[in-house]
Parts: sequence; C-alpha cells; structure tokens
Amino acid sequence: MGETFYIFNNGRLKRKDNNIIVTTPDGRSKNLKSEVTDEIYIFGELDMNTKLLNFTSQQNIIIHLFNYYGFYSGSFYPRETKISGYLLVNQVKHYENLDLRIELAKEFLLSASHNIYRNLRYYNGRNGKNVDLEKSMKEIQSLRNKMKDAEDINQLMGIEGNIRKIYYSRWNDIVNQDINFNKRVKRPPDNMINSLISFINSLVYTTVLSEIYKTQLNPTISYIHQPGTKRFSLCLDIAEIFKPLIGERMIFSLLNKNQITEDDFEINSNYLYLKETGKKKILMEYDKRLMRTIKHKDLNRTVSYRHLIRLECYKIIKHISEEKRYEGFKIWW
Amino acid sequence: MYIVLMYDIMSDEKGAKVHRNVFKISKRYLTHIQMSVFEGNLSELKLFQLKQELNEHIRRDKDSLIIFKSREERWLTKEFLGIEDDKTSNFF
Repeated sequence: MGETFYIFNNGRLKRKDNNIIVTTPDGRSKNLKSEVTDEIYIFGELDMNTKLLNFTSQQNIIIHLFNYYGFYSGSFYPRETKISGYLLVNQVKHYENLDLRIELAKEFLLSASHNIYRNLRYYNGRNGKNVDLEKSMKEIQSLRNKMKDAEDINQLMGIEGNIRKIYYSRWNDIVNQDINFNKRVKRPPDNMINSLISFINSLVYTTVLSEIYKTQLNPTISYIHQPGTKRFSLCLDIAEIFKPLIGERMIFSLLNKNQITEDDFEINSNYLYLKETGKKKILMEYDKRLMRTIKHKDLNRTVSYRHLIRLECYKIIKHISEEKRYEGFKIWW
Repeated sequence: MYIVLMYDIMSDEKGAKVHRNVFKISKRYLTHIQMSVFEGNLSELKLFQLKQELNEHIRRDKDSLIIFKSREERWLTKEFLGIEDDKTSNFF
C-alpha cells in the first residue's frame, strides 16, 4: 500500500534526482519518496512544471488539489494504465439496462443505509445523555425495506433522501457540542457541521477516486448518480457506502472529543471556512482512520479501511463481468 | 516490511560518486532521517528493486550497507535522545 503526502506549505514542487521534492521560499524542503507514493494532497500554493507532472504520471501518482478555502478543486490523474475495453462495455451495459442498473444502485444504497443504521445503533444510549435513537432506527429500517421494492432510480434516491433526513435530524443528540444542526445545507454550508461534512466528504471522494484508479473500472460511469459530464460520478456512488463509516464516524468523534471546536473555523466567514490548523487536525485523523484495520471475515486477514474501498471496486468488477453477484459492504462488527 | 537502512561508503577517489548515487536512490524509497540512515515501509517487491539499484553502485570490497528489517512498524519502537524531529511525517 502506497503512501499519501499532505502539503500545506507554499512553495515549489519539483522533480529532482528522479524524485519529488517540495521546497519553501525560506529554504526548507521535503522529499516525497516517489517510488512508494500513491497520492499527494495539495492545500498550499505551489508552483510546479510539466516536468513534474510528467514524472508523477510516470510513477502513477495522483495529485489532488484543494483551493485556498479547502474546497476540492480537482485531481491530476495520470494516463489510465489499467484499461479494459471489455469491462467498459460491461459497465455501460449495466448502466443502460434499467433492471441491471437498479440492481446495482439498490445494493449501493442498501449498504449505505445499513451503515447509517449501524452508526445510530452505535450511538444509541451512549454519550451519557441516554439519548434514545430507537425510533429513528426503526424508521430507517422500514425505509430500507421500502427501498428493496423501489422500481426506479428516482424513487430509490427519494427514499435515500428520507433516510438521510432522519439520520441528520438526530445528529444534535449524537454530538456533545452545542451546534445547531438540523439539516444538510450545501453551497455554501451554513454551520460547523455542514462545513465539516462538505470537507470530509470531498476527502472520501478523492480517496475513492484514487482506489478506483488502481482498478480497471471507469470512474465516469455510475449507477445511482446520473453519469454527468465533467465529473467522476462512480466515486460518488462508492463513496456513499463509506461516508458513514469513514467520514461521519470521524465527525462524531472529532466533535465529541472536542478535537474540533469553533476555534478551528473562521468565525467571520460564518463557519464556512476551516482554518489551516483545523484542516490539518482533520487530515491527520483522516489519514489514521484510513489505516485502521479490521479482521475481514471472508478473506480471513486484516484489512485497512482504505483497502476495503479497493475490495469494493473488485466486487463491482466481478458483478459487471457477471462472475459473482455484488454484495455491498456492510459494517459487520 | 519496515526497513532501516544505513551505509558506510569508503571515501576514496570514487567514493564521493558512489555515496551520491546511493543517497539519491535510497531517498526515492525511504525517508532520510540521519546522515547515512534511512527508514520507511517497503513492500517485498520495492525492497527488491531498491537492492537491485543499490547493487549497481556498491563496491563489494570497500563499501558496506546494512538493512534492518522488521515485519511491521509496530514491532519497532523508536526512542529519541536530544532533538526529536518528525522527518517521517506525511504532512508538510
């Protein structure tokens, strides 16, 4: 498993000695071991040239770029080396045939909602507040049952929206800090939690993209989300499954342990922007989470959260090449 | 596999060149933590590649290079005396 580097400093990213090196104007520098690096996240303002981009492309290193405010702006994605026309044809086939498409979409969302349910179950009666999430859990279960009978994608997404609404409505009970979070607001997020969700979701999304890159899947053809132009929508589909496990669990723990507080946000921006310290704290925690391992019950060995994402891609590949029916990842511990 | 690599290059006429090459190769795979010491996580394959590359430069009769291997990072505790720094951090 390769390494990930996170760069916050401003300066220059360049190729030197067949390696990648970051240098800052005040003379500090760091080598990013090119042979073992998989991804570089850039949060600072860096100069770079085509020589560097050619080199990262050669080494199959993905560069994820975030703008000044910490919003994901895009990735430098090297030429696809793992391509498979056969798989692409099958991917498209599964998209075009509504029955096949809904089968996959359903499995994605059933897993996602199962993981949401598990999050609620985990926090039910915890926190010393004795909050009772039982009722919401029941509602989510019954919506999940409805999901199984959904006939088209819109209906499916509608139910998913309802599940998320119930889920979000309970966040105030789960989180110990006093933040008034009622519903998900994007563009722009309007309070601390909404900003956190936006930031962390974009991280999950880039991680999924990096993992898809290592497989033959084509990241533009998706099943729940409409495969639009200009974005890798398959990442959104797969991220759906992992957001509760990796992203949302982390938000709860960051807030409940007071690792992230109001001080980590620019108050003047209405909690819209995270300060650099805040971003760093989140990324360090995120990096740790991706390396967390669990004992995989089918493979009978330990597997990291990051690797779970890749395994998910392999399962999808098996499904669309009609080898083995896809069963989405559901938290089992 | 967690690796600690260190080397001694004899500093004769050709020594400087060998030293330079060994250093440049090692830092592509591992983190440079002290003068001639590197550490990092490598897969079996990457370690093999690294050794192959180094073998082209190391002079068997003059230089010496040691690789300590540990199955996993957590079987290895690191202790600092004096300046403690985080050269192995993934954040910059």
